[in-house]
Amino acid sequence: MNKLNRRHFLGASGSVLALAAMGRPAFAQNTQIRHFWWGNPERDKRTFAVIDIYNEKTPGVTVVGETLGFADYFTKLTTQIAGGNMPDVIQQGYGVLFEYIANGAVVPLDEYIGNSLDISKIDQSAIDAGTVDGKFYALSIGANSHMAMYNTRMFEEAGVVPGETFDPYAYTYDELAEFAATIKDATGVPGTDDNTADYQNFSDFVVQKGAMLYNEDGSYGPTQEIVEEYWSTWEKIRNAGGTPPAQETAGLAGVSELSQMGVVTGNTAMTYLWSNQLVGVQSLMEDKLGVATYPNTPDMVPGSVIQPSQFVCLTRDSSDPEAATAYMSAFVNDLEMTKVLGLERGIPSQSEVRAALQPDLTEVEALSVEYFDKIQGSTAALPPPPPSGSNEVEQTFERLAVAVLLEQRSIPEVASDFLRQANAILRRA
Amino acid sequence: MLKFLRRNFAGYAFLSPWLVGFFLLAIGPILASLYLSFTKYNVVRPPQWIGLEHYFYMFEFDDRFKKALQVTFTFVVISVPLKLIFALGVAMALDKGIRAIGWYRALFYLPSILGGSIAVAILWRQLFNYEGVVNSVLSLIGIQGPYWLADPDYALWTLIVLAVWQFGSPMLIFLAGLRAIPQDLYEAAEIDAAGPVKKFFAITVPLLAPVIFFNLVLQMIEAFKSFSGAFIISGGSGAPLDSLLFFTVYLYNEAFSFLRMGYASALAWVLLLIIALFTIVAFWTSKYWVHYENERG
Repeated sequence: MNKLNRRHFLGASGSVLALAAMGRPAFAQNTQIRHFWWGNPERDKRTFAVIDIYNEKTPGVTVVGETLGFADYFTKLTTQIAGGNMPDVIQQGYGVLFEYIANGAVVPLDEYIGNSLDISKIDQSAIDAGTVDGKFYALSIGANSHMAMYNTRMFEEAGVVPGETFDPYAYTYDELAEFAATIKDATGVPGTDDNTADYQNFSDFVVQKGAMLYNEDGSYGPTQEIVEEYWSTWEKIRNAGGTPPAQETAGLAGVSELSQMGVVTGNTAMTYLWSNQLVGVQSLMEDKLGVATYPNTPDMVPGSVIQPSQFVCLTRDSSDPEAATAYMSAFVNDLEMTKVLGLERGIPSQSEVRAALQPDLTEVEALSVEYFDKIQGSTAALPPPPPSGSNEVEQTFERLAVAVLLEQRSIPEVASDFLRQANAILRRA
Repeated sequence: MLKFLRRNFAGYAFLSPWLVGFFLLAIGPILASLYLSFTKYNVVRPPQWIGLEHYFYMFEFDDRFKKALQVTFTFVVISVPLKLIFALGVAMALDKGIRAIGWYRALFYLPSILGGSIAVAILWRQLFNYEGVVNSVLSLIGIQGPYWLADPDYALWTLIVLAVWQFGSPMLIFLAGLRAIPQDLYEAAEIDAAGPVKKFFAITVPLLAPVIFFNLVLQMIEAFKSFSGAFIISGGSGAPLDSLLFFTVYLYNEAFSFLRMGYASALAWVLLLIIALFTIVAFWTSKYWVHYENERG
């Protein structure tokens, strides 16, 4: 029945060795499910714990976890696609998911719904976000939004009081410039990261300005004026003195490891990330974190969206989709497992899971939930999925913004260069 | 044919592990990449034939390709001569018959063993960090060091220093070459009152020319292919401002970040042609400065 391929062979010989070492024979036929995610130390710890629970509960199925940092995750996935040995279950984000669906690497889940896969208690909005052309592909793990995280000790020392000095849910870039400089004067630590090369903040700013990142026809939305204004806005904040030296910021352009973030290293008092990363960031820090939205313009047009943080998806290389989808189903529905996962991947999209978590949230998780309650109603509409090539546009932005930081070329010059390259990338993709 | 096979069967049988590896793991992928360079291929969908389009695009529109060439050429032109000079200098110092010479040789060779490794690249990143060892040492003598890795004017130099530091293998080859120079030539020169500089340029360099040439070609090819240091230190992207965009880093990005395997294959073939061209030029000029002892005429 079972064909002997390389993976089975290696797996089998590995287990034979392991069993030989333990000196106890076993003959159980085992289905192996590989689950691959990008993570951080906190997420990895929780996910491996969840896998242990599932393996304990489900005899005959062994889930094996594989993890990498975000930067290397997609590189490895690509080589696995080429080699035809993708893990059964992979993690995807809202930005890139659609390229993988279009390419056929991620397969639809419709035929498993109601059998091995239970989505009856998943929020409709989360189901919609994972649906493309009427087919359901991606199971949302949690909801997510942009979030600024600040070091409460440093803010306190500088006398910057949320609710008095600034409104953490509606403050302007000008106010940010001011209190960031105050913090720098009082503590010696720059009050904020410099987001000149931060594409997330830029994408917020574009929407705050009434434009869209991508137009309906897939062309690039931001105009020359918007790009210029974004960079001059941050130039003003930088000149006010509340950011790290521009060269230090330049060295961090495109870096995604949480351990390198300003608020974690103590090089700044405020860093701009995703809300689901709050748990991971707090676990790397001693000082307590406070939360705020991204800064806005005086018009206060919402710029951030609420979107699924991550999905679990089934790949076309899965050898046992039934068992794989059963595991995916448990990953979002099983109360024992989701309790361990907590809010680390965002606010769960399953109503029962949310209710079960509520009574014993940790302090930082409660903060997450509070943040979500506060931003309800003041977020932007979820845009259509970005076209392919968007990932490269983002990297081009990060690269060229360094020229602005180092003042190698004027802002208008870099802005027009960026738009020219962005359009060329989208045409070519 | 049959007779030939029967006679040489044992020989080929013993060769077979190597032959299989060579055809399956070297020639096969090389030819496959040649084919892929004429296709649009994103890994997930089957390749689609587009002829020479990638090559035209590269030379006509691709600014990062030109930037990558510029960075790579700068690196090769500066790091290779520096490394050879450094290696020759150390080899000559070691040639003086110091005690425990074996230890010194091993010690100087050590960086080359470690050199290509990821660990050293990461270590290098720490050394040249703004708050790293290099700037701490500089601050002891009152100099505030720059942002070595974030400043496009300095970033490439950190890699050149890294390359020069790995002078071990050319040094060993130089050392062997120096040992082969007959001592009586130096003695004769000394009797004629030649100083050390004269001896170096009139005896050492000409007699060492074949070894210098060998090292030059080898190190040049190595420098063109250099990857891991630039990849790690630039965070994989060639940052800051593409100042560390080595050709190989660009190729890697196109292939694995943007899934343009066809285009990346075309880039790989262009790199191969460039290396071949430079090697041919080196061989051609060698006629004029490299002379072998057993040459006639």
